[in-house]
Parts: sequence; structure tokens; C-alpha cells
Amino acid sequence: MAENKQADIRKWFMKSHDKGNAKESKPAIPAPTNKSQPEKPAHASPESSGRRKTSKYFATDKQKPKDEKETEELPTKRKAQRHNDESVKPPPAKKVHIVDDNDDDDDDDDFVFSSSRKKLNDVTPSKKLKSGSGRGIAQKPVDIEEGDEDDDKDFETPLKSGGKGRGGRGSSAAPAGGRGRGGAQKPVDIEEGDEDDDKDIETPLKSGGRGRGGRGSSAAPAGGRGRGGGRGGFMSFGERKDPPHKGEKEVPEGAPDCLAGSTFVISGTLDSLEREEAEDLIKRHGGRVTGSISKKTNYLLCDEDIGGRKSSKAKELGTAFLTEDGLFDMIRASKPAKAPVQEESKRPVDKVAPLPKKSPQKIETKKDSIGNSLATNVSGKGLTSGVSPAKHKTKTVAKSDLTWTEKYKPKVPNDIIGNQSLVKQLHDWLRSWNEQFLDTGNKKKGKKQNDSGAKKAVLLSGTPGIGKTTSAKLVSQMLGFQAIEVNASDSRGKADAKIEKGIGGSNANSIKELVSNEALSVNMDRSKHPKTVLIMDEVDGMSAGDRGGIADLIASIKISKIPIICICNDRYSQKLKSLVNYCLLLSFRKPTKQQMAKRLMQVATAEGLQVNQIALEELAERVNGDMRMAINQLQYMSLSMSVIQYDDIRQRLLSSAKDEDISPFTAVDKLFGFNAGKLRMDERIDLSMSDPDLVPLLIQENYINYRPSSAGKDDNGIKRMNLIARAAESIGDGDIFNVQIRRYRQWQLSQSSSLASSIIPAALLRGQREILQQGERNFNRFGGWLGKNSTRGKNLRLLEDLHVHLLASRESSSGRETVRVEYLTLVLKRLTGPLRELPKDEAVQKVVEFMNIYSISQEDFDTIVELSKFQGHPNPLDGIQPAVKAALTKAYKEGSKTRMVRAADLVTLPGVKKAPKKRIAAILEPSDDGLVDGGSTLAEGEEENSSDSDELEGSANGEKLQMELQSLNSKGMQVELDLKGTGNSSAKKTPAGRGKGGSGSSEKKGARGSGAGAKRKR
Amino acid sequence: MLWVDKYRPKTLDNITAHQHIAQNLKKLVTEQDCPHLLFYGPPGSGKKTLIMALLRQMFGPTAEKVKVENKTWKVDAGSRTLDIELTTLSSTNHVELNPSDAGFQDRYIVQEIIKEMAKNRPIDTKGKKGFKVLVLNEVDKLSREAQHSLRRTMEKYSAYCRLILCCNSSSKVTEAIRSRCLNVRINAPTEEEIVKVLELIGKKEGLQLPSGFAALIAEKSNRSLRRAILSFETCRVQQYPFTSKQVISSMDWEEYVAEIASDIMKEQSPKRLFQVRGKLYELLVNCIPPEIILKRLLYELLKKLDAELKHEVCHWAAYYEHRMRLGQKAIFHIEAFVAKFMSIYKSFLIATFG
Repeated sequence: MAENKQADIRKWFMKSHDKGNAKESKPAIPAPTNKSQPEKPAHASPESSGRRKTSKYFATDKQKPKDEKETEELPTKRKAQRHNDESVKPPPAKKVHIVDDNDDDDDDDDFVFSSSRKKLNDVTPSKKLKSGSGRGIAQKPVDIEEGDEDDDKDFETPLKSGGKGRGGRGSSAAPAGGRGRGGAQKPVDIEEGDEDDDKDIETPLKSGGRGRGGRGSSAAPAGGRGRGGGRGGFMSFGERKDPPHKGEKEVPEGAPDCLAGSTFVISGTLDSLEREEAEDLIKRHGGRVTGSISKKTNYLLCDEDIGGRKSSKAKELGTAFLTEDGLFDMIRASKPAKAPVQEESKRPVDKVAPLPKKSPQKIETKKDSIGNSLATNVSGKGLTSGVSPAKHKTKTVAKSDLTWTEKYKPKVPNDIIGNQSLVKQLHDWLRSWNEQFLDTGNKKKGKKQNDSGAKKAVLLSGTPGIGKTTSAKLVSQMLGFQAIEVNASDSRGKADAKIEKGIGGSNANSIKELVSNEALSVNMDRSKHPKTVLIMDEVDGMSAGDRGGIADLIASIKISKIPIICICNDRYSQKLKSLVNYCLLLSFRKPTKQQMAKRLMQVATAEGLQVNQIALEELAERVNGDMRMAINQLQYMSLSMSVIQYDDIRQRLLSSAKDEDISPFTAVDKLFGFNAGKLRMDERIDLSMSDPDLVPLLIQENYINYRPSSAGKDDNGIKRMNLIARAAESIGDGDIFNVQIRRYRQWQLSQSSSLASSIIPAALLRGQREILQQGERNFNRFGGWLGKNSTRGKNLRLLEDLHVHLLASRESSSGRETVRVEYLTLVLKRLTGPLRELPKDEAVQKVVEFMNIYSISQEDFDTIVELSKFQGHPNPLDGIQPAVKAALTKAYKEGSKTRMVRAADLVTLPGVKKAPKKRIAAILEPSDDGLVDGGSTLAEGEEENSSDSDELEGSANGEKLQMELQSLNSKGMQVELDLKGTGNSSAKKTPAGRGKGGSGSSEKKGARGSGAGAKRKR
Repeated sequence: MLWVDKYRPKTLDNITAHQHIAQNLKKLVTEQDCPHLLFYGPPGSGKKTLIMALLRQMFGPTAEKVKVENKTWKVDAGSRTLDIELTTLSSTNHVELNPSDAGFQDRYIVQEIIKEMAKNRPIDTKGKKGFKVLVLNEVDKLSREAQHSLRRTMEKYSAYCRLILCCNSSSKVTEAIRSRCLNVRINAPTEEEIVKVLELIGKKEGLQLPSGFAALIAEKSNRSLRRAILSFETCRVQQYPFTSKQVISSMDWEEYVAEIASDIMKEQSPKRLFQVRGKLYELLVNCIPPEIILKRLLYELLKKLDAELKHEVCHWAAYYEHRMRLGQKAIFHIEAFVAKFMSIYKSFLIATFG
């Protein structure tokens, strides 16, 4: 165990310097793999080949068998758990294969075994039983090293257990781990079935002297797992480290198809390639990359084993592990020695063939089954389904000038890619529509159904190009409805015709007519008249011109005698909010890329185009589920070439990729990212233009965090500092450009602006991001400027209020800036100093006096304190007793009775229609109503009368608010006297619940409100 | 009441620091019609005081009866209507406003609001002055467009409206406007003058001034009278019987800028730059004008800098200040200056000390 661990650790640490060695040593690995690859496919399915390799890997790769072993073992536990599940449904291929494994230690008789396995496969339905034992053994290959005996043992057991207790065997795997650790093997074994017992006993006997026998090694997983888990947590999502040797290796070029037929899964950090690069590399060479391990996966590409789910699953499934170097070698091998390798690489290609072939069959069967189910549902459906294939064929044969999208439009519902269940639902809905809503004859049933939530219309939603319209049409066609389509090209507004005509404009009227007339026809001669369905396409596109369209549509739905199918892209659109309630909602999803690729393949073959599956999948992925676009692209490419490669598609779609919404963060990531250097200029501009306001801000916020790769070796950081200075200047340029653009509308500068503000800084500093602050996450921060700027704006406003009050006191006539820069320090001292030093009463009196002289309100007091706070400096209010503060508040309130009000904004009255032309600095003597005395937190005498008394600040609890309300009422009354009953409204406007806005906002609003008031008066 | 305001001279006769100018102004308004005036000079030199005294001289004590208004003006700017908020300080005969408060919309203020105000002839002309006065503060902060719009207004309505412009630097006022005004340069008072004022205040307040204390304050005040009086009072608040060794504390924000400066000097790294950015934001959020931050920062840096770098650093400070004016997001430019400084200083350190 210790040894294992050590080896493991060594692996992590030595990795980097091993590099050189690894390169030399690695070739050993791929050689066998390569060899085995071509051989196997001919006979065995990919899984078995993968499995095969596992054993080989261990046998041949002496370099690090130990680590491998450890990692290999990880899955034990899981496997054990899984066992039970699998007992129900055993994956057929695997089990058999295990048998092979066991049998051929010499690891060259694959053929024999695969064939034998095939036999087994065919013959034994009781494979299930075996699976368990096979499982257990799958781990065993680890032991191969140790000698034949062990293996023999293992084989023996399965053989024994063959017929029976797979369950027992399976569970034995689980305890094995625990046991190994505990050291007490026997007891557990005894609990197990007999076979297990035998086996387990045997093993220890044999392996007894060896430090790490089967059991010992089986214990390892626990440790390994634990560590792996910890590590996984450490490098949690999104924090995948950069490849340690990024860009240092030369990426090989190989024959385009050299990886064809192989499926890869990438896990963890690779040595020199980024994820995306590796993916691209594999795809370019015909391989397939999937996200998670499955039986079909041939290789798990990983350089270090982080013990994640992928690797454990891979081990469970026996997937081969492949290092990056191994991958390179595979690719490289295909290139230089063309003659020999070509052959090898060809094989796989052959092998691919069966795969796709197989799948279509499956699909067909699936389709058939669906078809059948539909057929059973639908009367006369058999007819259509019978006809359709024929139709289909004739269509494809006839080389028409139709675009492919038209040409290969699904002709029967079953042809529709994806969303079959929705189509079926639609079908059912439409089929039962008449019975549901029209059966006036069978009133009892119809009525009931009507009430019970069945919708008269249906709303199909989904992104463009996934077949909403098509399915609507097909379904109605299939059910013999005559479809009437109304789409955005028709005017659908309500206002088109005269209003007395009632609902709908000209077209809407025709719909109406249709909708209501149908009732007649239905009633009279329903059999003769073709059934009709109304398809309202693009309902979310009802806009300006179609005013009232939705309402009208809803009205139509209510009275409709024919089914209505509405189609939209965005179900959550505001416009459709009301419509949604009247419709059965069916949301179409994007088809998977495999589904699309399948269909595209059919199209391609029908058109005589040679495309490989991987390329089509890429295409499907790139168009983001839009089948129509995919076919269009395919057709376009067919014009210039007859064989389409992965690279072609990539090239093509890079330029005409579907516009996707790219978030500013993604854009910034890309601009700073590892391959930003390879981006073309227009791509960079596109990225920075994705949000021309936000991207520069994000860049500005984060550029310091990047360690520029262009700086290279930078001992003292001077290069980086220089680059940062340059970038900062460029960002400044961007700001200047931005002013020109916004202020003087020089929009032609926008490119220069994005160049200066985003592209240049990003180009200078692109590299690896690092954190500058403890605990910060290593993601791009959101631009701080926006927040800071708004805070600054708020503070400026507060300052302005203070300034106004100072001016109004007629004691000072300084500017705002002067107030802040020069006065504030002293004013603060005068305000807080006494509170800290003098006895309470005296201090309070002094401060209130000072405040009165300068008309400083309590908000202003807060403002002054707020503006004098600096991070890292003591709060100006420190050292002041809360009691003193409270006393100050109280004293200030008291004084409000006799205070002179000078500041204009403090006496605004809302709702005043005929006020003096200009708001005079009215001098109101506040009334002396007792309510204020109660210590209610009314801000101050001046503020009481202010327009925005509803935003009065400071009172947090309900009672106080209540009091405030009352006092305000009285104030309002008092004001009334002065200003002819207008003040009342202000008092009424004071809702108790809203009383406490932030002081900031209340101040601000106050100012603004008063301004508005003034305006009104003019 | 603060001493600054308490001992502010109210009439031209009482002016102590710029008696000569005060006398000339007095003659100007008593004997003949007053032209447009442009007062310029460093902060704390007494421009505002002079203007207020001048207004009092023109209109008598009514000029002091000011009211503050804060209103929103609806301005028609081509396709849309803008709401511009503006605080004005007005008496019956004069209106004082600060058009640069409106930021880059200041030209609308000049084009619409000032014009509007200038157009309206005072109703009551039986007084001796047939005109009213518009006092515009911080004219140097007005955008170029606003200044251009201003000059036409100055000519057109000069019959019954006088403008008194007030700014720190006349170089930022366009030639056209300067030539339409009588330029009055208000120098910063000399230290002796400041000492005189301080001693006067000390006497009136009945304070014991140790010898040299007033001079110390005057020296610290950077020849700003306001500053001197304020810090004089600060000292009074902090510690009364004065001692000649008393520390004259600087403003809170100045201390903060000094901190930033020493941060920068201590370490030049992206990490430090990041911290400095945070502190700069702090200053900006606390409404310290960016130009003042930059200026003060430069001042603090220069104090600690090697002589051979001073020139270069000054150059870059000026460069970035200019750009800050052209731009909008001040922090970008201050940060750029800091980055530039770090890069210069770092390479200097490496060159010197290896």
C-alpha cells in the first residue's frame, strides 16, 4: 500500500520532469495499442477492444503500472454497488469479454476470444449470471503482473461461479475493499456465497507472501479514492488548471481519418493541450469526443488521474487510458510511415461503417414502433404511414430544384427529428379536438370535457428551425385537416377594419369568418366539408402592425369551432402572457446532435455527398439545433465539394456561425484566453462588440489580474508592469474615444474605441489569470466602475444637498467642491469633537447650535460622516456614546419648533397647482403640535413639510411610522392653512409602510421632487 | 459659525488681502457701467468674497438676501427632452449658478437656461442699475461647446445683463470669452497677508498666538487664505492653548492620498496597483474631484522621489490629467498614471540597485 501511494505521489510530482523520459518511454505504449486496434475491430466491437487494451496497457506499460493499478482499482466500490442494478439488465458485451480477458493471458489471442465471446453472446441468455463474476475479474487484470497463479485463481472462480451466484460474487467485490483494509478477510468471506469463499481463501493462500496481492491492491481504492476526492474538490469546477506545459509540445499532424471510429473522453488537465484544443485535434482526425464515459468509449484521455467520476467509470468499463503523448503518437504514427499506417488507419474506417449502419436500423425499428403506436391511435393512419415511404423515395429520386430544406422536409410525423412525444401529444390533441369541443350531439361528454381544463388551442414553442411549423402541418395533414396558415406576412391586427365590424381586421375577420363559419359547416355537412385547422404562425411576432392581435386571437380561440395551433419562438415573451392561459403548451426541444447527424447523413447520402459522421455531428452542434440551417449549410457546401471533412465544416461555420448570444464575460475570457493570440482581428472586434459598454469595463476591471504570456520570463515583473502601463493608457484612450462617440455622436469611432479599450489591453496582457486578493475566486470580476460610479453619484447628490443647505444658511457661499475638499474636515470636527469630549448636554447644545447656524440637517450630518469615511481609517463616529447620539437627535428635534427654514427644497409641497411662480424660501414657523415631542423620528422641522415626506427617513418601526404619519397629517393641515388645501394630499401620500427609504434616496428624491414642483408651477 | 465665514469681509472697503483690486472695482461700479467680469485665481484667494462684496456694492444689502432654488429645467435637445437639475442662488438683482454641475450637458444650460435668464429684463428699472447680474462659477470646467454658446449670449443681452465669471484658471476659458470680459486676476495672498489675517482673527477671538504659529499655518496653507483660516480653526478645536510645535493636521483625504503615495513607493506590482485602485475609488466615491486627487498624488509622490525622475513624472501627470479631462471615467486615467509611475519607478529602481 505504502508503495502504491508513493508511486502515486511520485507520479504527480515527477510528471513535469518525467516529460523527457516519458517521451522516450511512451512510444512503447502506443505501439501495442495501435497494433491491437486494427486487429480487433474486425472482430470485436469497440468496447471489447477498449477492454482489451486495458489489460494490455498494464502488461506492456511497465513505466507506471503501479499508479495505474491504483487508479484502476478505484471503481471497485462503486462497481460493487452498481452490481445490483446491473444484475437486472446486464450489458451484454462486457461480460463475455471478461471471460476472454481471463483466458488469454498471453494477450494475443483476441480473435479467438472475441469470436468465442460472440458465440457466448449469442448462446447464453444466462450471461447475466456471469456478469457478476466477470465484474470481479475485471479488476483483476491488475494482478497480471504478479503472476499467472493469481490470474488462474481468478479464472477458476468465475468458472465455478459461472452458473450461479453472480450476486454473491458481485457483492464480494465490495467487501473486498473493506476487508483488505481491515485485514480480516475470512469473516467476510464466510458471509458470502461458497464460491467466494473458495476463491478468497485460495487467493490469500497463494498471494500470501506478496505484499500486495489481489486483496491488498483491492484495498487501495479506498485510499486512492479519498485522495482523489480531495483533489477533485480542490480543483473544483471551472478551476481546471492550465496545462503545465502549455504550448510546449508540437501538435502532430496525422492522416485525417487516423482516429476514425474511436471515441474519446477527456478528463482532467492534459499535459500541453487545453481541453478545446485536444477536442479539436481528435475531431480533426476523425475521432469522436463525448462528455462522459460509456461503453462505446475507447479511450479516456488523461494525463493525471484525478480520481474523478470519469476515471473510475472508465476503469469500471475497462476503457483504455491514453495520455496526451500517446494520443500524439497515435496521430503521428498515421502520418510519416504512410504506407503501413494507412492500412491500419483504414481498418478503423471500415469499422466505423457498421456503427452507423447499425444505428439507423435501430432507429427505424424505433420509428416503426412509434409509427405503430400512432397507427393504433389513428384511424386511417396506416394508410399514411404506408404511403409516406414511397412518397419519400420518389421525392428524393426526382432531382428537383427545391432547396434541400424543402426537399427533405419530413413527410410524415415520424420523420421529424426529436420531440416525438410532443408530436404525438399534438396529434392526440388534434384528433380528439372534434369530439371534445364540437360534439354538440353528445352533450354530456362534450360539456364535461370542456370544463375540465382541455384547451381549445395549442401553443408550440421552441427555437427556430426545430420543426414546429413542420410538425403542425404534418400532423394536421395526417389527420386529414386542411391547414390554413396565417403568419407574420399577413396582417393580423385588430385595428385594420372599422371598429364596429367588431373583432379583427380584414384578415382577422376572415379568420373570424372561418372560425365561426366552420361551425355551420360542421353542423350541417360535416362529412363533406374538409376539416380545417388554423395554424397561427409566429404569434410572438405580432407587433406594431398587429395591434390587438393577441387579444383578438384569444377571442377567436374562445369562440372557435376549429382547432387553432399557435406557434411561437419564445413562450415567455411578454406579449404571449395572456395567450398562454388559453393554450395547451408544447415546448419543442432541440434535437440532439446525434439525431441531427443521422438525418443529415440520410440527406447527404441521398444527395451523393460523402461526409463522415463526426463532421455532421460537428455541424449539428454548430448550428445549435437548427435543422434548417444545418441542411442549408450542407447544401451550400455540396456546391463546392463532394467530400466534406471535419475541417471543412469547421472552417465554414467559423465564418458563418449562427449568431449566438455571447455574454460579456465569455467575450472577455476569450480575449484574454489561451488562444486569443490566434483570433483574427474581426473576431476580436466581434467579441468586444458583443457588448461595447460592458466588455471594456470588464477588461478594465480585470486586466491587472493577467500574467501576460508575452512577458515570458520576467524576473522582477518589470515587463509586466510596463505592459500594464501600456494597457492602462490604451484603456484611457478607449475612454476618450467613448466620450467622442457618446457626446459628439462620432459613431464611426466605435471600432477604434473597442480596439483601444478592449483589444489592445487584452492583446498585451493575455495570459493566465491570477488572483490578487486573498479569497478571491479566479474568475473575471464584474466591472467595479458601474457600482462605484453610482455610489459616487449618490454621494454627490447628498453633498449637493448639504451644499444647498449651507448656501441657504447665507453664511457661506463656497462651491460644492470647496465644501467637500476644505470645509468638510473642520465641519466634521465641529460636529463630532464636542460629542466626544464635552459632557453630554453641553456637547449636544453646542452641536445643535452649530448645525442650526449652517442649516445642517440630520441627513447632512450623516452625509458628512459618510463622506469622511475612508477604508482602513477609523469611523468618524467612533468614540461617541450612543446615548449622546440619541440625545443629539432628540435635541435637534426639539429645536425644530423654533428653527428657521431657509432651504428651498425643504418646503416643497406636492400637488400644488397654483403656487408662486418660484418657490420662495418660505419661512414657515413650524407648528407646535405635541405629537412631535414624543420622540418620533421625524427627520426635522424642515423636512416635515417636504414633498417627499412619504420617503421620510429614519423611522424603522411601525409605531414610529404611525406617529410620523399623524404628525405629518397635522403638518399637512398646517400647510393647508398656508397654501389652500393642497398640502393635504402630501399628508395622505404618506403610506406607513414606505416610510423609510434610504437617506440617500429620500434626499435625492426630495431634491428632484421639489424641482419638479417648481417646473409645474412655471 | 466657522471663522472663514465669520470674518469674511462683506464690503469692498473691508477687504484686506486685495485692497487695491477692491478699490478699483469700487470705482468701476460706482462711476460707470460695469462690463462683464472674469475673476480668476487659485482657490482660497478671495474671488468669491470679492464678487459678493462687489454685488453688495452694486445693489446694496439686498444682494445678500439670497434664496436657494433647486429646479429641474426641461430642455429641448433636438429629438428628446432633457431634464437638467440646477441649483441657483438668487437675489432680486442677481443669479448665481454653477453650470458645470450639469456635466456634459452644460451646453444646454448655457444655451437655454442662461439665455432665458439673460433675456428677461428686470421689471423694476427705477433703481439706478438697469441690469442684473449672472454669476457663473467654475467657468473653466465648462465644456468647449458651452463656452462657445456663452459668448453669443454675452454680446446679445449685454444691455441688461452682466456676467460675472469666476474660475481658477483662465487658460481653460476660451479666448473669445476672455476678450469679452474685464479680466481680474486675483493672486493668492502672500504668507505675510495670511499671517496678518490670522493674527487679526486671533485677536478678535481673544486667542494667544505663540510667535511663529500663524506663520506656520500660513506656510502649510499653500497660500490659500481659506485653507489657512480653516486649519487655524481646526487647530483651535484640537488643542487650545496653542504651542508653536503643534501639528497642523491636513485634511482627511489628503492623508489618504499620502497613504496611497507611500503604498506606491513601497511596492510596484499588479497586486499593489489593484489595491491602489480600490483606494482611488474610495476617494472618488467620497466626492473628491479627480483632478485634485491626481494633483495631490503627484505632490505626495514628488516629495519622496529622486530628483532625476521628477521631471518625467510631472510630465506624465500632466499628460494623464489632460486625458482625464478629455475622457469621462477619471479612474481609468488616474490608474493609468499610477501604472505608468510604477513602471517608471520600478525600472529606475532596477537600474539603480540592480
